Amino acid sequence: MDRTSVKIVVAGGFGTGKTTLVASVSEIPPLTTEEILTEASVGVDDLTGVEGKSTTTVALDFGRITISPDVVLYLFGTPGQDRFWFMWDELAQGAVGAIVLVDTRRLDASFPAVDYFERRGIPFVTAVNRFFGECAYTEEEIRGALELDPRTPLVWCDARDRPSSKLALITLVRHAMAKLTATAPA
Amino acid sequence: MTLETWDGDDESAAGRFVPLYVLVNGRTAPRDSTLDLATQVVALPVDTRRLEPEYVEIVHRCASWISVAEIGAYLHLPLAITKVMVDVLVEQGYLRVGIPAQQKIFDLHLLDSVLAGLERL
Ligand SMILES: Nc1nc2c(ncn2[C@@H]2O[C@H](COP(=O)(O)OP(=O)(O)OP(=O)(O)O)[C@@H](O)[C@H]2O)c(=O)[nH]1
Ligand SMILES: [Mg+2]
Repeated sequence: MDRTSVKIVVAGGFGTGKTTLVASVSEIPPLTTEEILTEASVGVDDLTGVEGKSTTTVALDFGRITISPDVVLYLFGTPGQDRFWFMWDELAQGAVGAIVLVDTRRLDASFPAVDYFERRGIPFVTAVNRFFGECAYTEEEIRGALELDPRTPLVWCDARDRPSSKLALITLVRHAMAKLTATAPA
Repeated sequence: MTLETWDGDDESAAGRFVPLYVLVNGRTAPRDSTLDLATQVVALPVDTRRLEPEYVEIVHRCASWISVAEIGAYLHLPLAITKVMVDVLVEQGYLRVGIPAQQKIFDLHLLDSVLAGLERL
C-alpha cells in the first residue's frame, strides 16, 4: 500500500493563533522543524562563498491528522517571525490550500498572507480569531480591509477550540474542491 | 479603518533569504532533492550494518511511514540536511518513498476522502 501526503498551510500574521489551531486538531502535539536560510546574494553555486555570510534559522510548527490507513494530512504553520517567502513557497507547493488566521485587533498583520495566496491562486479561507469574544468589525468591514475576493470564505473561529478549527479545515477543503470543479476542463 | 498595504516587495530583508546550500556525502541540497517536507518514507527490510550511525538513526525512525518533516523534528536536523540524507537512503535502497503532496493535488477523489476524514474528527 502506498502512502499519500496531503498538506494544508496555516498562515497569518505574528501571534494570530497558528500554532494553537494546529495543536487543537493534530493527533500529535505539534512538532517543530527548522530550516537554515542564508542570504540569496551568496549565490547558490558558490559553495566557497557560504562561509561568513549571514544565516538565519526559521522554525516551522506542524501537526498531523491520519485520514485513512493510506492518507495522512499535515498541517504546517508558517513561520511567524517574518516574511521568509522561500519557506512559504515550499509549504504552499502542492498544498490543498491555506487557512489565514486573522486577529481582529491587528487586521493588517494578516494582509501579506491574504495577498500571498490570492496572487498565486491558491485556495484559502480566512478564519477570524476572536480572541476575547468581542469583535469590533462586521464581516463586511473585515472583507473590505483585507480586500477579500467575495468568493473567499470567511469563518469565525477560536483556534483553541477543536470543533471550531475543524470547521475552518472543512470549509477550506470544500472551497478547494469547488474551485477545482469550477476550473476543471469540461 | 486604515490598513498599511503590502506592496508585494519580495526583496525586503527577509525575502532575500534562501535555504542554505548544504553538502552531504558529495550531494547538495536543496537542488538535487525532489523530496517535499511532507513526503513520507518507510524503511525497507535491508541490513543497515554498513551505514553510518546518523543514517542508521534515520532508518530506525522509519519503521513505519513517517514524513521528512517529522524525521527532522525528532532527530533535530535542519530540513535541508534531512532531505539530502533521506534522498541518499532512498537511492541506496534503504527507504521507500510514498506519494508526495504535489503529485496528487488535483485529485477530487483524494480531497473527498480528506473531507470525510475531517468530518470524522
Ligand atoms: N483568547 C484566545 N487566545 C488565543 C486564541 N488563539 C490563540 N490564542 C493565544 O494567543 C497566543 C498566540 O497564539 P499562537 O498559537 O502561539 O500564535 P502563532 O500564530 O502560532 O504565533 P507565532 O508563531 O509566534 O506567530 C497564545 O498565547 C495563545 O494561547 C483564541 O482563539 N482565543
Ligand atoms: Mg506559532
